[in-house]
Amino acid sequence: MSGKELPKQEKRRWGRIETNIADLVSGVKENKFSSIARAISMVEDEDPLLRKDILRKIGTSATKAHVIGITGPPGIGKSTLIGNLSSGMMARGITNGVLAIDASSPFTGGSLLGNRIRMQDKLRESHVFMRSLANRGEKGGLSRSAIGAVRILESAGNQEIIIETVGAGQADLDIMNLADTIVLVLAPGLGDEIQAIKAGIMEISHIFVINKMDREGAYFAMKDIEDIVSMDDHSGWKRPVVGTTSNDNDSYNGLIDAILSHRKYLEMSNSLSVKRRYMELETALEDEINETITSKLKKKLLEEYVSGKGMGHDRLDDDPFSIAEDLLKNFLEYSIE
Amino acid sequence: MAAGKNQSSSKQRPPKILLAKPGIDGHDRGVLVLARAFRDAGMEVLYAGLLPTPEEVIDTAVNEDVDVIAMSLLNGAHLTVFKRVADLMKERGIDDIALVGGGTIPEEDKPALEALGITGNYGPGTPLSTIIEHVRKRAAEAREKKMGQD
Ligand code: B12
Ligand SMILES: Nc1nc2c(ncn2[C@@H]2O[C@H](COP(=O)(O)OP(=O)(O)O)[C@@H](O)[C@H]2O)c(=O)[nH]1
Ligand SMILES: [Mg+2]
Repeated sequence: MSGKELPKQEKRRWGRIETNIADLVSGVKENKFSSIARAISMVEDEDPLLRKDILRKIGTSATKAHVIGITGPPGIGKSTLIGNLSSGMMARGITNGVLAIDASSPFTGGSLLGNRIRMQDKLRESHVFMRSLANRGEKGGLSRSAIGAVRILESAGNQEIIIETVGAGQADLDIMNLADTIVLVLAPGLGDEIQAIKAGIMEISHIFVINKMDREGAYFAMKDIEDIVSMDDHSGWKRPVVGTTSNDNDSYNGLIDAILSHRKYLEMSNSLSVKRRYMELETALEDEINETITSKLKKKLLEEYVSGKGMGHDRLDDDPFSIAEDLLKNFLEYSIE
Repeated sequence: MAAGKNQSSSKQRPPKILLAKPGIDGHDRGVLVLARAFRDAGMEVLYAGLLPTPEEVIDTAVNEDVDVIAMSLLNGAHLTVFKRVADLMKERGIDDIALVGGGTIPEEDKPALEALGITGNYGPGTPLSTIIEHVRKRAAEAREKKMGQD
């Protein structure tokens, strides 16, 4: 199936990319930002054939990236933190790329992509690629684009990929499943909000950050989280609590160290990217199944119907739904025990 | 992960717009109004912030793969600054991102901007619907170019 051509119409739709797809893929591998950007657009457009085409041509990569998910309530300082984290890593020679997700309006589908402005100066100085993704209110769609975008950034040779999420909802948990290391960002004075967060993301986080350590109550906030963490079962990863302040570059060293130790911890147990590979397979399977069912299986069942092998012609007056249901049932009974 | 909506028909991203003030100009009320208006019209909107250079504007546009750069200046420097953005784009061979301008742009400057491919050039009092319609049209043209239907 590898040599399968895109249908003509699809080819025309992305004609410019199609003719340059080899260039695009080699551009991605050379970490050329314009190529990475266009490749991500291709996975963002919900076109299964194109996504498959580009991701397959990109293939597997020599570098194995570690994915860091940064989550926490809006306004807590995630975007600002990512600017510092990313440039701090670059200063240590650790290559990285950033994806930041913003919420779309469920009514208009529009979105204000506001994460970039908080981090762009640092990222620009350090020559880091960053891309904003709108969640478009659809969890399935977002996971797909994010999975593809991570693959592309990995293929560009990034050792670390940092993802900022919107900080709420099921889609967020899905994205967090992509991440090897989940960093939950909190700040002094959250009070009751902490209770709400505790219920979901708290359990699955690997590192806690108290941001805005310049604020009053910072040490109490750290103590609160340290108390929670002290009740963890101590057999596995010991979850660190680190403090950061946006105007103190050195304060990010503790966070970088914690992230790198978690990476090492995962590598020792051979579990780096395991979840991500599983998600990649899951989406690839879903695409394949959709493709098969909508094209091949449909064709096969229609043929069976016409040839009389399936249900016979005598049901033309039946309602089409019952015929379709019977055809599929019949097929599944034969092929799946 | 649920399949959600039907995947068989391909679905395009909404138009993506970069709003920029590529120069020393602190008048940001207009761009903030436009940012919300574009979002409410169903577009994905990035705001580059005050004072980024033309180079930064273009880098951002490329990395985010936007369809339109919407440039706003009220400081009177549009002829030089907008032109620099257009020239840099040409230099870098970028022809699938549209340039739209606006702010305090005198009528007599508009032909020169148009000649550079910078369209719109709307000033105070222009109805938002006129601006949105224009930006949407330019975004669609840029998207067509990206997809090679020139
Ligand atoms: C409010 C204002 C200020 C505020 C700005 C507050 C802020 N944060 O934005 C303050 C008081 C700070 C200010 C300061 C100055 N201002 Co002033 N200011 C104005 C004023 C009165 C209104 C601007 C405004 O906010 N309009 C409301 C918004 C919503 O409209 P808008 O910006 O025009 O945007 C609309 C359209 O133009 C269009 N549009 C705008 N951008 C774009 C982009 C695209 C792509 C598109 C399609 C459309 C589009 O759509 C928008 C929505 O309808 C104008 C006069 C005027 N009537 O325009 C002078 C004006 C812009 N200022 C002027 C000047 C000279 C200054 C100062 C240099 C000093 C001074 N004399 O006051 C300083 C410089 C500030 C700086 N650092 O750059 C002059 C500029 C002259 C020129 N172009 O040659 C003006 C024209 C006044 C004048 N007649 O002299 N100013
Ligand atoms: N005092 C203080 N403010 C911060 C710090 N980090 C971020 N902020 C501010 O918090 C606000 C929200 O930051 P942002 O990064 O956009 O948060 P996000 O919504 O979680 O991505 C901005 O005004 C930042 O300047 C910090 O360490 N200390
Ligand atoms: Mg943010």
